[in-house]
Amino acid sequence: MKGLETTMDKQRIEKLIETFNTGKASPAEIGELETLIEKSAVELSALSDLKVLQDRIFDAAVPEPTSRLDNQFLQLISSHKPEARINWKQMFSWPNLVPRFSLAAVTLIAGLAAGYYLRPATSADPQIDQLSQQVTDLKEMMMLTLLQKESATDRLKAVNLTQEMSAASEKVTGALLSTLNNDSNVNVRLAALDALKAYTNDSDVRQSLIQSIARQESPLVQIALAELMAALQEKSSVKEFEKILKDDKTPRDIKKRIEENIDVLI
Amino acid sequence: MSKVRDGDIDKLGLLFARYKKPLYGFFYGMNKDSALAEDLVQNVFFRILKYRYLFRGDGDFRTWMFHIARNVSHDHFRKNKLRKKDSIDNWQDRLSSHEDRSTLYVEDEEKELLSLAMDRLPEDKKEILLLSKFQDKKYKEIGDILGCSEGAVKVKVFRALQELKEVYKKLEVRH
Repeated sequence: MKGLETTMDKQRIEKLIETFNTGKASPAEIGELETLIEKSAVELSALSDLKVLQDRIFDAAVPEPTSRLDNQFLQLISSHKPEARINWKQMFSWPNLVPRFSLAAVTLIAGLAAGYYLRPATSADPQIDQLSQQVTDLKEMMMLTLLQKESATDRLKAVNLTQEMSAASEKVTGALLSTLNNDSNVNVRLAALDALKAYTNDSDVRQSLIQSIARQESPLVQIALAELMAALQEKSSVKEFEKILKDDKTPRDIKKRIEENIDVLI
Repeated sequence: MSKVRDGDIDKLGLLFARYKKPLYGFFYGMNKDSALAEDLVQNVFFRILKYRYLFRGDGDFRTWMFHIARNVSHDHFRKNKLRKKDSIDNWQDRLSSHEDRSTLYVEDEEKELLSLAMDRLPEDKKEILLLSKFQDKKYKEIGDILGCSEGAVKVKVFRALQELKEVYKKLEVRH
């Protein structure tokens, strides 16, 4: 039954095509033909008049473009060459960054390794440590001996020796403080004070310096101490300076300088 | 095209050599102005270069290119509405100017009449016939370009050919 219907459909379609090709198709038949074309039941090539027309369109010669078009195209290409502009996106893409980071990491590790192996050998040899300790001890002993000398020049030498010591012992700072408080020569006392500036981080030394203020009779040493205290911002030294200010023997100029330093501290 | 998309711009030269003629033919068929057709071909390749990253590589390049060509053509006619206006006066102007040019390209009378008949078709009908010519009757691909089914494209071609036949007959009587 279905086969019969298909045969009837085929016959109907063939008749419809024939009617169209003879130019006698009604608008309703053309509409039906369009439906069949849409469903691919009728191919356009089956409509002879239209096929001839379409073939002629296909066969119609196409004019050639001129060389102007080629030139325009070459200009377009040259203006879009990738090297003409920096491609930031590509520059910071992982495939580009990985080798760069790797090289940087290898260089850093090589640098650290070289630094480790080429570092100066410190305290590697216990004999050298022992020897340098002996030299320091010798210098201390020499300094303490020189401080006992009568000659002020020798005592100055002794004070200057401390500046060559990398780390002074309590013995040395004690000897310097003793010189500051008791030495008869003002220059030696000033040199001792100068040498003690290097040890002001030690709270005991600072305390001893404050106590030393009232003991000083030389205006030069007093002023030097006042300036040091101001620089150190040692407020507890103010009481000691006030004692000097109350002393009638203290010259007026010195009092004025000390007052200026007290103002800085307060 | 995939190589062009990935940055090998020089490969576009191969595509240009292969497709400049059909593209030029399409634009020339649409407006019968050789200088304008060349400019529009250039415009298509400019857009291909600009939007190359949008080419997915899974479709046919020729279809993608004609899709762009169609947009270029529409943009041009949108900007120049006067040209697109199909008044009788315009037809007269184009007829006379075309007759001069036709002697250069069309050799016999039948071809000349066909060319004139094509010119008298509305833009959409002329476009579908030119697309079917330069896409080698691949109606499915044309459907991709126009955004419709293969069957719908066939019907559009059928209607365009019908109208072309009518216009051609009228011109034949006049000559």
